[in-house]
Amino acid sequence: MQSHSKKRVCYYYDSDIGNYYYGQGHPMKPHRIRMTHNLLLNYGLYRKMEIYRPHKATADEMTKFHSDEYVRFLRSIRPDNMTEYNKQMQRFNVGEDCPVFDGLYEFCQLSAGGSVAAAVKLNKQASEICINWGGGLHHAKKSEASGFCYVNDIVLGILELLKYHQRVLYIDIDVHHGDGVEEAFYTTDRVMTVSFHKYGEYFPGTGDLRDIGAGKGKYYAVNIPLRDGMDDDAYESIFVPIISKVMETFQPAAVVLQCGADSLTGDRLGCFNLTVKGHGKCVEFVKKYNLPFLMVGGGGYTIRNVSRCWTYETSVALAVEIANELPYNDYFEYFGPDFKLHISPSNMTNQNTSEYLEKIKNRLFENLRMLPHAPGVQIQAIPEDAINDESEDDEKVDKDERLPQSDKDKRIVPENEYSDSEDEGEGGRRDNRNYKGQRKRPRLDKDPIITNSSNKTSSEASSDIKDEKEKADAADGEETPAANNNSNNSSSNNKGDNDASAPAGGASAAKGAKENNI
Amino acid sequence: MATNMYRVGDYVYVETAPNSPFLIRRIEELNKNQTGNVEAKVMCFYRRRDLPNPLVQLADKHQLATAEDSPLATKLKKTWLRTPVGEEQAAQAVLDPSIAALEEERSSPTQASAGATTGNSSTNNTNNNSVASGGAAGGDGEKSEALTSKQRYQIKHRELFLSRQVETIPATQIRGKCSVTLLNETESLQSYLNKDDTFFYCLVFDPNQKTLLADKGEIRVGSRYQCDIPAKLKDTATDERKLEELESLVWTPEHSLTDRKIDQFLVVSRSIGTFARALDCSSSVKQPSLHMSAAAASRDITLFHAMDILHKHEYSIEEAMSSLVPSTGPVLCRDEIEDWSASEANLFEEALDKYGKDFNDIRQDFLPWKTLKQIIEYYYMWKTTDRYVQQKRVKAVEAELKLKQVYIPQYNNNGKGNGANVKAGSGGGQGGIYNGTTNGGADLSNNGKPCESCGTTKSSQWNSFSNGHLACRLCQTCWDYWRKYGSMKSAHKGDANDGEAKKKTAITATPAAALASTGATTVVDLNDDEKVSDLSNRQLHRCSIVNCGKEFKLKTHLARHYAQAHGIAISSGSPRPIMKTRTAFYLHTNPMTRVARIVCRSIVKPKKAARQSAYAINALLVKQEFTNRISGKSQAEIKKMLLLKPKDRGSVTKIANRLGAPGSGPHEWLVLTPKDKMPQPVVVSFPKPPKAPDGSLVYERVPNKTPDVVAVPVAPDNKELSIIPAQATSTIRKRAHEEQQLNGTEVTIVPSGPPAKRPNKDPMPSHCPSPEQFAAMMAASGQPLSRHHLNGKQKIAQMARGGNGRKQVISWMDAPDDVYFRATDVHKKTRKILSAVDLRRAARKPWRSLPIKSMAPEPSSKPIESQIVILD
Repeated sequence: MQSHSKKRVCYYYDSDIGNYYYGQGHPMKPHRIRMTHNLLLNYGLYRKMEIYRPHKATADEMTKFHSDEYVRFLRSIRPDNMTEYNKQMQRFNVGEDCPVFDGLYEFCQLSAGGSVAAAVKLNKQASEICINWGGGLHHAKKSEASGFCYVNDIVLGILELLKYHQRVLYIDIDVHHGDGVEEAFYTTDRVMTVSFHKYGEYFPGTGDLRDIGAGKGKYYAVNIPLRDGMDDDAYESIFVPIISKVMETFQPAAVVLQCGADSLTGDRLGCFNLTVKGHGKCVEFVKKYNLPFLMVGGGGYTIRNVSRCWTYETSVALAVEIANELPYNDYFEYFGPDFKLHISPSNMTNQNTSEYLEKIKNRLFENLRMLPHAPGVQIQAIPEDAINDESEDDEKVDKDERLPQSDKDKRIVPENEYSDSEDEGEGGRRDNRNYKGQRKRPRLDKDPIITNSSNKTSSEASSDIKDEKEKADAADGEETPAANNNSNNSSSNNKGDNDASAPAGGASAAKGAKENNI
Repeated sequence: MATNMYRVGDYVYVETAPNSPFLIRRIEELNKNQTGNVEAKVMCFYRRRDLPNPLVQLADKHQLATAEDSPLATKLKKTWLRTPVGEEQAAQAVLDPSIAALEEERSSPTQASAGATTGNSSTNNTNNNSVASGGAAGGDGEKSEALTSKQRYQIKHRELFLSRQVETIPATQIRGKCSVTLLNETESLQSYLNKDDTFFYCLVFDPNQKTLLADKGEIRVGSRYQCDIPAKLKDTATDERKLEELESLVWTPEHSLTDRKIDQFLVVSRSIGTFARALDCSSSVKQPSLHMSAAAASRDITLFHAMDILHKHEYSIEEAMSSLVPSTGPVLCRDEIEDWSASEANLFEEALDKYGKDFNDIRQDFLPWKTLKQIIEYYYMWKTTDRYVQQKRVKAVEAELKLKQVYIPQYNNNGKGNGANVKAGSGGGQGGIYNGTTNGGADLSNNGKPCESCGTTKSSQWNSFSNGHLACRLCQTCWDYWRKYGSMKSAHKGDANDGEAKKKTAITATPAAALASTGATTVVDLNDDEKVSDLSNRQLHRCSIVNCGKEFKLKTHLARHYAQAHGIAISSGSPRPIMKTRTAFYLHTNPMTRVARIVCRSIVKPKKAARQSAYAINALLVKQEFTNRISGKSQAEIKKMLLLKPKDRGSVTKIANRLGAPGSGPHEWLVLTPKDKMPQPVVVSFPKPPKAPDGSLVYERVPNKTPDVVAVPVAPDNKELSIIPAQATSTIRKRAHEEQQLNGTEVTIVPSGPPAKRPNKDPMPSHCPSPEQFAAMMAASGQPLSRHHLNGKQKIAQMARGGNGRKQVISWMDAPDDVYFRATDVHKKTRKILSAVDLRRAARKPWRSLPIKSMAPEPSSKPIESQIVILD
């Protein structure tokens, strides 16, 4: 496990990526990826890895996760025809934080193409570590843009990995919660999402300690809510034990690490106090597990530090030491006044006391203890396996059937059914999503923004613990949807959804779930 | 020291009134305003006592709900939290059912203490809850078991409510740091009680809407949110997709070349690039020195290209090398910064000035022949140049006003109190600090009452405190507690059972307000009525204009009032202009006014008033006169006065006829007065300038602000058209010198008045010499062209230093320089060569290049149109 041997590293980059521009005053700057690239060249890291120019992901590939409508919308929207799409822009949350800019779709294609190609590469065991700094757009939802992200390349990559890997671990060290990825895999036990993020009055508002997944995915979402000022030591003190424990209990076959660099000190949007070294330590630690490893970019809004960080992390992946003195490159002047690779932390106070971190850690350990021990699961036949090869066809069929149902589906209230009585119907639900109104970027005028409480979390957690208990009583982990349905309303919904994902009776199961709800 | 250093992001106590509790704020920004004072932009946190009553109840229930963590409670929580409590009555109505439901639940056997949930598992899922309490509600369980009633009481003082409201306060009001964190369910509330100055929040209060909300997003569940998980393929199955379609290899480390070999190849490719630049005409113009060519050839694009070439030729250096030098000549790779001509660069900077970083607009209006990507790439490279650095420096000066941290010396709590010892018995309403006797014995002041809160009779200092109508006092510790946490340290009397009792201790808002406004120090009450606390929490700002004295809650309001009502602009430190556009108004003249105008014509002098808007009418006198004159007149009479009596001036046609009648001869009044008989003005403000020998008028130069610029009138024998100031400040001279260099020797551009403020903002694009001209000029002047001056402009400082040594930011709004063109004989000759048509055309379209034939290739062949003559 400790092997530090040189690994085959594949790196994905398109020389066009730096020239996409989100718009005046927008903090997201794809240019940082080019700055990283130039640093890599001049550090001599470029020549030590395989460099690939990724293909442009097709709409077909994107719809593996995203809804057809959404992808169609992304493909057709341009700054010059925006006015025709007013309604859709609202629906898909494109506008403020996620502006329409020239080449938006191409940008998404390149970012997604890189992650998908990297995942396929890992699948084919043609590489041990793949890097796509153009990816990591972890906020994008199935049919919604969010937090500067349009197409969730991570989800697409993980979906690809799932074809060859039973369990995939996703780790997110962006300062923001990786809500898009968590949501996409919230109900599956094949992907565990672990996100370390600032929580509390912060975009995107999700990532509570109590959000632990739903249905079959219960306990497969791990959230580490942190406070301002996380420094290297504190970060390591929580990252290492949690990841160790996760590795031990979940035993993933592949790892995806989102290396959002907005957790670095001095980030324009972030509020942590990590240095490049501390950030890179996470990469180093995950790399030690010698699993197929996909590294993607993510946030990072002080671009000189982002490129420093990603350059350093590439060197960590390559196990090559690089000098602290930055080599001359086209963008050398950006790194003044010191022109060094490493940055020093600020003197901000760390609001995460060791006591607080300890408590969080213990709570998460308790949750992880609820996981069925991984090796047992591996032996068990997973229902989906039976239908493996036609999966893609099935997906299409499913989608076709679901589309006309979409209206009815709207009435399915996720998860915890007891919430239906009060807020069922469009109005209430829309309220629930008011958080979307919050912007990732701080607004200048600081208007009071209304958010709404979520309806799940704690209560749901409690009910699901009960499930788990019952499950434990029953023959270990066997699927007993009927029994669970009777036990608790909220769980019935989860089971329904999970069944829906099983292609055998997808449509009917979905209907069942719906009837349960109404 | 660190304790007194306040940084952005710190949570702080803020004192607004000397005797009310501190406000708790988070520093968002620290700004230095014009007067040098530091202002803090802060985010507001509210205490329980600042919330309107129904919301306090809501908060209580929420706390309860989180403690219980039962599904029903959660459901209820949701309902309440969505209820806006704008109108308290309506809100109550909405709230009631849910509260009742909760009460019901609470009264059921399974309640409160998390441990007591044995049996009765069929109802309410409380059994689950107790199982979960090990995990989900662990901290809460701990809390409900461990907390005594006193702690329960005190914990309420630690709860805050975040608002997304931001206000600006002077930094001098900051009174120490505290810590506010989002309550995490793993934490026991006890941990907050054990530490001083720690607060928690879990709800967000919206003061405008009067709502409480949980600060939380949501992960949604359903087929519309999750993805379909593909099944794992059988081990035998292979991905049908070809990697080649997904990616194309650009470089691989699997080759036989050593690092050294690659480095060598890179050096070779750079040297080829240098040579290519030497051969390339346009490059050799831009980069007159070898160094510059070498630097240009060392840019990353050359290296990337070299690596690509190496890969394409399968890492054979020999082949790669030969492909770098094809038969057509050595390969030349240029990136955007090199590719752009000087004029394009100028255009870009101009466009950046005009549009900011809106590259689409820049492209459309300035550089339509470039692609957006080219412009963006150029922009990011341009940022590395000196020119950007200069601009950034300007920005940095602005940013200087934004502080990262500020040092505020320890505030002496009792500063005022010590200075002016308030005597005992000065009255209950009066407040202040009573100095304790040094021996710590019971103080006789205020009748030796014990501390209102803890009952002690010994304290180093006593603080007067008014609880409702009773004047009482607090010992130092309790006083500190009161100020920090906004309540009594221990529950007592009316304050004990917060919910109900608060209403009873209510004090009417008016006395408190009155106290606040009269500046009395003690405005203290224990109730939660928001009005009162609002008033006591804020200092009122009063208009200082005599006879006005209006009061405003916010400084900005006051400033606006000043601006609107009194026409005084007071800078509030905010960048926004205070002056709002005035609302339109009209003068409503009522009949009485009209009568007064007629009656008191002698005083009002309406004709004079109409002509001179500044003419003051003594309204008082008019009033007096009017009442005098009007007295005794009946209404009908007055009405009659109002009727307009038309003057008979004869009909217009008559007059016209008379005027137009022929033969009447020129009237006397129509005959022009001879010039010498015209009345001469006493003072001639603008005498006619003397005439130059060539007949043109010679204007005297008006010295402009800069006192050391001495305007010297031109000697009459000067044959030049323009005027040269004999002396100029050093800056001016420097600039003139530069220009001289730039344009060759025969043209002198003489700046007038103040030094150039906006040197790179030329009045017209025609000012930029074309790259060829520029290169020629540079070559002629023998001045090396530095790498960053590709765009043909000299380094011109953006900053001027004024006399006081402070950097001054030059406003972009200043008008461009005046430029004079001094025509020499050569120019005059050139003009003569041109046809009249050409000259006219050139005058109309100065940017057009003129076809000048038959001109010797001397420097003076510079087309005329590139020099603009602007005269005042």
